[in-house]
Amino acid sequence: MSRLLSFLRAPRLALTVIGFLAVWTGVGAWAPWMQPQGPAAPPWAVGIGLDHPFTSWPFLLAVALLFSSTLACTWGKRARIVAIRRGEFPPSAVRLPSRDGDARAFLAAEGFRGQGELLTRFAPALWGGWIFHVGLLVLIAAVLVQHAFYDSGVFDLSEGERANLAAHGTVFGREKGPLARQTLPEVDVALVKFDPFLHQAGYSRDRLSELEVMVPGEPPRMATLDRAAGIRAGDIEIFQAIPSGMAITLEIAGMGMRTLRLETEAPRRAAAEVTDPGGMPVRFVLESEQDIDGAAGTGRLLLWTEGMGGRRALAPGAAFPFGPGQARVVGVGRWGRFTWTRTPGLSGVFAGFIVILAGCTLLAFPAGVARQGREGEGIAAVVFTVRGGPALAAEWERAGPQA
Amino acid sequence: MQSILFWSAVTLYALATVAWFAWAAFGREWGAKAGRALLALGLLPHAGSLALRWIEVGHGPYNTRYEVISADTFIVVAVWLVATMVARGLRGLGVFVAPSAFLLMGWAVSTFELKREVPIIFKSWWLFMHIGFAKLFFAAILLAAACAAAWLVKDRNPKALASLPSPEKLDLYAHQFMLISFLFLGVMIAAGALWAHQSWGRYWGWDPIETSALVTWIVFGIVLHFRVLHRWSGRRMAWLTFVALAFSVVTLFVVAILVPTIHNSYMVGS
Repeated sequence: MSRLLSFLRAPRLALTVIGFLAVWTGVGAWAPWMQPQGPAAPPWAVGIGLDHPFTSWPFLLAVALLFSSTLACTWGKRARIVAIRRGEFPPSAVRLPSRDGDARAFLAAEGFRGQGELLTRFAPALWGGWIFHVGLLVLIAAVLVQHAFYDSGVFDLSEGERANLAAHGTVFGREKGPLARQTLPEVDVALVKFDPFLHQAGYSRDRLSELEVMVPGEPPRMATLDRAAGIRAGDIEIFQAIPSGMAITLEIAGMGMRTLRLETEAPRRAAAEVTDPGGMPVRFVLESEQDIDGAAGTGRLLLWTEGMGGRRALAPGAAFPFGPGQARVVGVGRWGRFTWTRTPGLSGVFAGFIVILAGCTLLAFPAGVARQGREGEGIAAVVFTVRGGPALAAEWERAGPQA
Repeated sequence: MQSILFWSAVTLYALATVAWFAWAAFGREWGAKAGRALLALGLLPHAGSLALRWIEVGHGPYNTRYEVISADTFIVVAVWLVATMVARGLRGLGVFVAPSAFLLMGWAVSTFELKREVPIIFKSWWLFMHIGFAKLFFAAILLAAACAAAWLVKDRNPKALASLPSPEKLDLYAHQFMLISFLFLGVMIAAGALWAHQSWGRYWGWDPIETSALVTWIVFGIVLHFRVLHRWSGRRMAWLTFVALAFSVVTLFVVAILVPTIHNSYMVGS
C-alpha cells in the first residue's frame, strides 16, 4: 500500500501524466481527421484511440491516473500544512544564519506578523495548494458524473408546428452518457414565430424564435429564444441552433396537416423527397427569386412536385393529386433547428472550477511561517515560505554582516 | 479625435521606449523616471481612444483585431504600473513593457477595422468576464516573461539594469506573475465554459481555442510543478517561462488568426 502511495505521489508521475494529457489533448483536437470535413483517421490513429481522443482508453487512463495522483498528494498534504502552521518546519525551510541585527524586524519588513514566537504571512494562503488540488479532484469527478448522465438531442420545427419531444421521430442526433435516462423528455414545443434574420440592435442578424413550451404539470408558457441563451423547460434546456430552411405545410386528405422541411440545395433552390400515401416517391421543389438565406427575403417563390407523373406546379390553396387522394399547400414558411440538453452534475463541474480558482487565488499570496532562532540553534530565524525562500535568504545576507 | 488620442498614446509609448533605452544602454537614471512617467501619461489618451471607440461602435474592445490588441496593450501597461506601486523593484521592467506596448500598438493600427455589430452570442455577461480575464492573463504572463528576461540579462551581466532587483527577487516575481496568470487563465476558461453553456447547452466543445487554452493551462501547471516539486529556478525556469508565454500567444492570437474556430470573430472578423 505504501509503495503504491509512493508511486502515486511521485512528482515524476504527476509531471508525466500532465505532460501526456497536454500532448494528447493538443494532438487529439488538432488532428486533421478531427476537423469538420477532414479525412478519415489513419489506421495507427484508430489503433491507439486517436480517432475518438477524449473517450479513448489512453485518455481515460491518464485522467484516472491524474485523479489518483492528485488524491494521493492531497491526502497527506493537510497534515503537513497543519504541522507547518504549528511551527514544525520541514527540511525545505530556510535557515537564516546568525548575525548582528534584528531578525524579527527583518521578518516584519518581509510581511511576517504575530505576537508570540511564531510569525505568519498570509497564513490562510498556506492552504492554497491543498484547496487547488481538492478542486481538481472535484472537477474531475464531476466531469465524469456529468459525462455519464449527459443527454442531448436535436429537433426541427416549422412555423406553426407543434411537437412532443418524446414522440417517435421528433428527436434525432441524440447523444447521451452511459447512465443517462433512456426516455426522452415529455415536453411539448410549438414554434409560434421564427425569424432567421432578425436584427437586434447592436448585433448581427440572427435567428429568433417564439416558442410555446408545455411541460407536464405546468401551465403552458411563451418564451423567446435566440442563440445568446437557452430556455429551461422542466429538466431540460432548449437552445436555438443555426440550421434553418424553407418549409411547406400541406393538408393531406385523410391525414390532416403535415409539415415538409426542405433542404437548401442551392442558394435559390430547396427540395425534399417524401413517399406519398400510395407509397410512391414524390419530390417537392421550391425555387426563389432571391437567395433563400438572404436577409432581404426570398422574393417570389415557385413550387412544384416531381414524380411519376412528371413535373406539376403547385399554387397555394389549390388541390393536387398526392397518392390515392389529394393534398393542398396551406402555406410556405421557414423551419428552425433546436437542441435540447439534460445536464445533471453540471453544478459539480462549476463547483470544481470555483474551488480550483479559490485555491489559485490563495496560491497567489506568498504565504509563510517563521520564528526566530532559539538558544543553541545557531541561526537567526527559520522561515518556511510557499515560494521565495532563496530571495528571502539573499535579502538577509545583503542586509548586514554575518556574526 | 479618436485617431488623435490613439496616435498621442503611440507617440508617448515611443518616447518611453527611447527613455528606457537610454536607461538600459547608458545608465541614465532620468531615463527610468521619464520612461515610467511617459508610459503612465500614455495611458490617458489611450483610455480616451478606447472609450471613444466604445461609444462609436456601441460595444467593448473585443470585436476586431485593432480593438483587441489596443485594449490588451492598455491592460499590459496599466497592470505594470499597478505592480510597480506594489513592488518598486518592478519599475525597471518598463524597459520591456515600453517597446512591447509600442510594437503592439503598431500591430493594432495595421489591422484597423470598424465593425458596429457583434454576433448575437456576445449578448452575455460572461463575455466580459471571459474577455477581461483573457486580457489580464496576457498582461500577467508578459510581465512574468519580462522578469525572466531581466533575470537572464542580470545572470549574464550582474551590473546590467542596475536598479532592477536581485536575480532571486526577479525569479520570485516571475513565479508570482506566472501564478497570477495561471489564475487569470483559469477564470478565463471557466467564464468561457459558463458562457458556452449559456449559449449552446454545453460547457466544452473541443474548439481549437478551447483546447489550446486548456493545453496552455496544463503547460502552466507543468511549469509550476517544476518550480514547486523540483525546486527549479533561475535559467531553466526563465526559459520555461518563455515557453509558457509562447503557448499563451498561440492561444490568444495565433490560433484565432490561422485556424477556423468559433473565436474567429474577435481576431479575423468573420
